[in-house]
Amino acid sequence: MKKSSLLPVLLAAVVLVAACQKSTHAPSPDVRVVSRTSLPADPNDPAWSTVPVHVAPLVLQDMVEPRLIQASTAQVEVRAISDGSRVVFRLSWADGTKDDSVRPAHFSDACAVQLPAKVQTDVPAPQMGEAGKTVEITYWKASWQASVDGRKDTIKEVYPGAAVDHYPFEAASLPTDSDAQKEMALRYSPARALGNTMAGPRKKPVEDLIAEGPGSLTPAPAGTSDGKGLRTEKGWVVVLSRAMPAGLNSSGRSQVAFAVWEGSHEEAGARKMRTGWVPVVLEKKS
Amino acid sequence: MARVHNWQIGREMSYWYPESRPSRQFAAIFDINKCIACQTCTLACKTTWTSGRGQEYMLWNNVESKPYGFYPLAWDLKLLKELGPQEWKEGTYEGRTIFEAARPGERALGWRPDDIDYANPNVGEDDCVGQVENGAGLEVPHLNWFFYLARICNHCTYPACLASCPRGSIYKRPEDGIVLVDQGRCRGYQECVKACPYKKVFFNPMTGTSEKCIACFPKFEQGLQPQCFVNCIGKIRMAGWISPPDKARPDNPIDYLVHIKKIAKPLFPQFGLEPNVYYIPPIHAPSSFLNQMFGPGTEAAIKAYRNADDDLAGLLALFGCTEKVMPRWKRQGDMVIAMEENGSEMLRVPMREPVHIRPAFDIRHGVTRTNCP
Repeated sequence: MKKSSLLPVLLAAVVLVAACQKSTHAPSPDVRVVSRTSLPADPNDPAWSTVPVHVAPLVLQDMVEPRLIQASTAQVEVRAISDGSRVVFRLSWADGTKDDSVRPAHFSDACAVQLPAKVQTDVPAPQMGEAGKTVEITYWKASWQASVDGRKDTIKEVYPGAAVDHYPFEAASLPTDSDAQKEMALRYSPARALGNTMAGPRKKPVEDLIAEGPGSLTPAPAGTSDGKGLRTEKGWVVVLSRAMPAGLNSSGRSQVAFAVWEGSHEEAGARKMRTGWVPVVLEKKS
Repeated sequence: MARVHNWQIGREMSYWYPESRPSRQFAAIFDINKCIACQTCTLACKTTWTSGRGQEYMLWNNVESKPYGFYPLAWDLKLLKELGPQEWKEGTYEGRTIFEAARPGERALGWRPDDIDYANPNVGEDDCVGQVENGAGLEVPHLNWFFYLARICNHCTYPACLASCPRGSIYKRPEDGIVLVDQGRCRGYQECVKACPYKKVFFNPMTGTSEKCIACFPKFEQGLQPQCFVNCIGKIRMAGWISPPDKARPDNPIDYLVHIKKIAKPLFPQFGLEPNVYYIPPIHAPSSFLNQMFGPGTEAAIKAYRNADDDLAGLLALFGCTEKVMPRWKRQGDMVIAMEENGSEMLRVPMREPVHIRPAFDIRHGVTRTNCP
C-alpha cells in the first residue's frame, strides 16, 4: 500500500480511538477503582456496566520452576468498585472448559488478585513478592465455588460410579454427626485435621494469602475476603471482595497484578498465566 | 541444581538441593522369592492409614505382578520410554537420571497418571510372559515367568517428590530419612505426583492435598517395624537402617545384605533417587529384565542367594520373626541372634527347625495321619 493511501486509514483509526475513549466501556490503561456507596456482590450486578474496563494481557509464568511453557488464557478483563473501606474486583476471562473439580491429573480453574502489602517506592517483585516485601493475594477457585454452591462432600460427587464398602467413621458404634464420628473421620483426613485451608469443605470460594517470594505462599492471619464466580458460555466471571489495600486512598496509586489458572491445561501453583504490576487508581468520589 | 553423590549409580549427579544425608536412614529389604501376592501388606496399610474419603483408590503399599502388572498403569514403562535407552558401564551409570533429563521448566522428568490409570490395581495379575508349555517351569531362569513386586515409598535419599514441590511442603526427616508430605502446607499442585518415578504420592480429591506412605513413623519411632512388614505372612520383609557403603557394618542386617553380600538391589537405581527399599531379585526371571529393574549385579546376587552360606541363611531366617526393628545381628552356631543397638539380645532363632518324624498310623487314636492341614 502506498503512503498516500495509508494516511486516510490512519486518520480514521485515530478518530475511532478518540471516540472510544469517551465511552465508559473503553479499555482503561490502568485499573480504575470507581467509588460507589454500595458494593456489588454478584458478577452480573448492573453496576458493573458503568465501570471502566481494563484489559490485562496475560503472560507465561516462566520465571521460576515449575514454569508454564505453553500459553493458555490470553487476557483478563478487570473492573473495580470501592465503597471507601473495601474494594471489589471483577475478573472475566474466556475459558472453553469448565474445570471445577480436583482429582488426580485434573485441576480447577482459578484466578487471583495481588497487591503490595505496603506502600513503598520500590514495589515488590510482581511474581509473588520478595523477602521483606510482602504481597497480599486474594485467590478464587472454581472447585471451592462448587463446594459453596452445594456440591456435597462425598466421593460420589467426584466419581458418581464410586462404590465404597465402608468407612471407619460409619461404624455402628459411632452415632451420626457425633463428635466421636467427626474425630474418626479426621483420623483419615490429616489435611483437614491440621486445618489446611485447601482441605474443604468450603464456606467461601476465596482465600486470603500472603507471600514473600515464590514458594512462600501462606494463608493470611485474618482473611476478610469473599467472592463469587459464575460460569458463562464463554468462560468465567468472578468478583473478589477484599479490604482496602494499603495506599489505595483518595490520593494514592498502587499496583495490582492478576493471575489465571486454566484447569484443563494442568495449571496449578506456579504454572499459571499472569500479569506484571498494573497501576491501580482510586477515583475520587463524584 | 547441586552436585551430589549417588553411590547406587557410582557417580555424582545433579539434584535440586545439596547433599544432606540424615543421621540415620530408614531402609528395607524385600525378598521377592518369598512373596505370594496375598496382599495382606496392602490391606494392613489400607486399614491403618487410607480408609478415609478421598483415599479410596490409594494404595501406599501394593503388590503387582511383573512384567504385566502395574499400579498405576504402566508407571515404570512410561518413564523408561520417556528416558530412553541408557547405559551402565562397570557399575557406573552413564545415562541420564530423571533430574538430568528434566525438560525445560521442570525439576525432574516425569508424567502424571490420569485418575483412570489407578482404576485397575490388579491388572496383569499372575500373567506370565508367555504360554507355559509342558515342563517350561523346570528350568531356571524360567522360559516363561512372572514375579510379584511389593512396593511402598522408597524414602529416597534424593526424593523427586521433595525436589519437585515448589513450596517445600515435602521434607525428609533428618533423624530417620523418612520422607513426608506436610499435610498442613500442601496446596495440591500435584507436582510430586508427576515427579515421583515410582508413583507413590497420591492426590486426595477430597482434601485437595497429596498423601503418601509414612513408613509408619509413629511405630518406627518406637523401634517397631511398619504395618506392611509385620503383617506379611510370607515374612519377606525386614525394616532397619542403612549406612552409606563406606560406613557399612557387617552386624547391621541391612548393611550386610546390601553392602556386604550385595544380594539386595534398589528399584530402578538409574532414575537417580537412591531409593532405600532393596529387593532380593527373583531367581527364576531373566537377568536382562532384572538388570533393567534393579541395576547391574543381579546375576551375582542370585548366585549368592542360591548358595547362601550359614551367615546369610541365618540372617534370612530372622525375617519376620519380631515386630521390633533389629539394628544388629550375629550368628552363633545354629542360632541366629537379633540384638538391640547396644548389643543386648532381642531374640534368637534356630537356623533349622527341629524335624519330627511320626509313624503314618497313630496307634493311640487308631487313625491314619495325613499331611493335609
